[in-house]
Amino acid sequence: MTTSAALSIHNQPGRPPGDLAIWIFIFAELLAFGIFFVAYAFARAHNVELFNASQLHLNRESGAINTLVLIISSYFVVRAVAAIKQGLSVSCMRWLLATIGMGGIFVLIKLAEFREIFSAGISLSTNTFYMFYLSLTLFHFMHVLMGMVILSFVAAKAQRGGYSADSHTGVHTGASYWHMVDLVWIILFPLVYVIR
Amino acid sequence: MSAQATWLRPCTLILVVLLALTGLNYALGKTNLGGTTIMLSVLAAAAVKVQLIVDHFMGLRHAKLVWRLIMLGWLLLVTGLICVAYLTSVK
Repeated sequence: MTTSAALSIHNQPGRPPGDLAIWIFIFAELLAFGIFFVAYAFARAHNVELFNASQLHLNRESGAINTLVLIISSYFVVRAVAAIKQGLSVSCMRWLLATIGMGGIFVLIKLAEFREIFSAGISLSTNTFYMFYLSLTLFHFMHVLMGMVILSFVAAKAQRGGYSADSHTGVHTGASYWHMVDLVWIILFPLVYVIR
Repeated sequence: MSAQATWLRPCTLILVVLLALTGLNYALGKTNLGGTTIMLSVLAAAAVKVQLIVDHFMGLRHAKLVWRLIMLGWLLLVTGLICVAYLTSVK
């Protein structure tokens, strides 16, 4: 049995969908983000006025729009999985392309936000708030890019007819990773942009 | 599309709830208000959104309890510690 086959858990009752390896990766990523979030919250506890004042300069609208974008993209991934479960490869590929498109919108909005921040002369060393804000959002940004790459490979395979109603672990694996990217942002947005 | 397609799929209903909760969080943020009630409301809405995604989008509601507990444990630990940090700072 190959390592891949040994780790493949598709269709095994009670197991999360996708490959076991991606779930180990997801839990590791959630642990890293979780530590980052808690560190932010406790750093803020010692610098409340600084964090509240700096937070007012963030573009909350772009953060909220990006939240909507990621949630809708997660929905598109769900539809891609539903399509391949019915053996609809082309439909699956189209939903995945729609997801990647939403990821592209997130990236463009985030780049505009970063440009706004950096053109104001703000950097990681400006203050503790911006150190956390830039580190957290850049770290998450890299995950969005990685998710888009993963889903591109999955979409390409779907287009070649590489998945079927009976065999589509790869779609589940890519979908699970993308949902993780979404749920991390769902905590990050209120934590950094909203709560004060 | 499949003949099984319905006017409102369960996942579409979940999407509507997620979008509504996002709108709620944004509206609370627009007030620029601080305080424990706002903080708890915003965090609770975020936690509900995460759990909806975990259960209905990631499909963990069909997984064994241990997998669900890992995710729920992460969510409760992170949001709980964030609450502790904020309540500490309020004092």
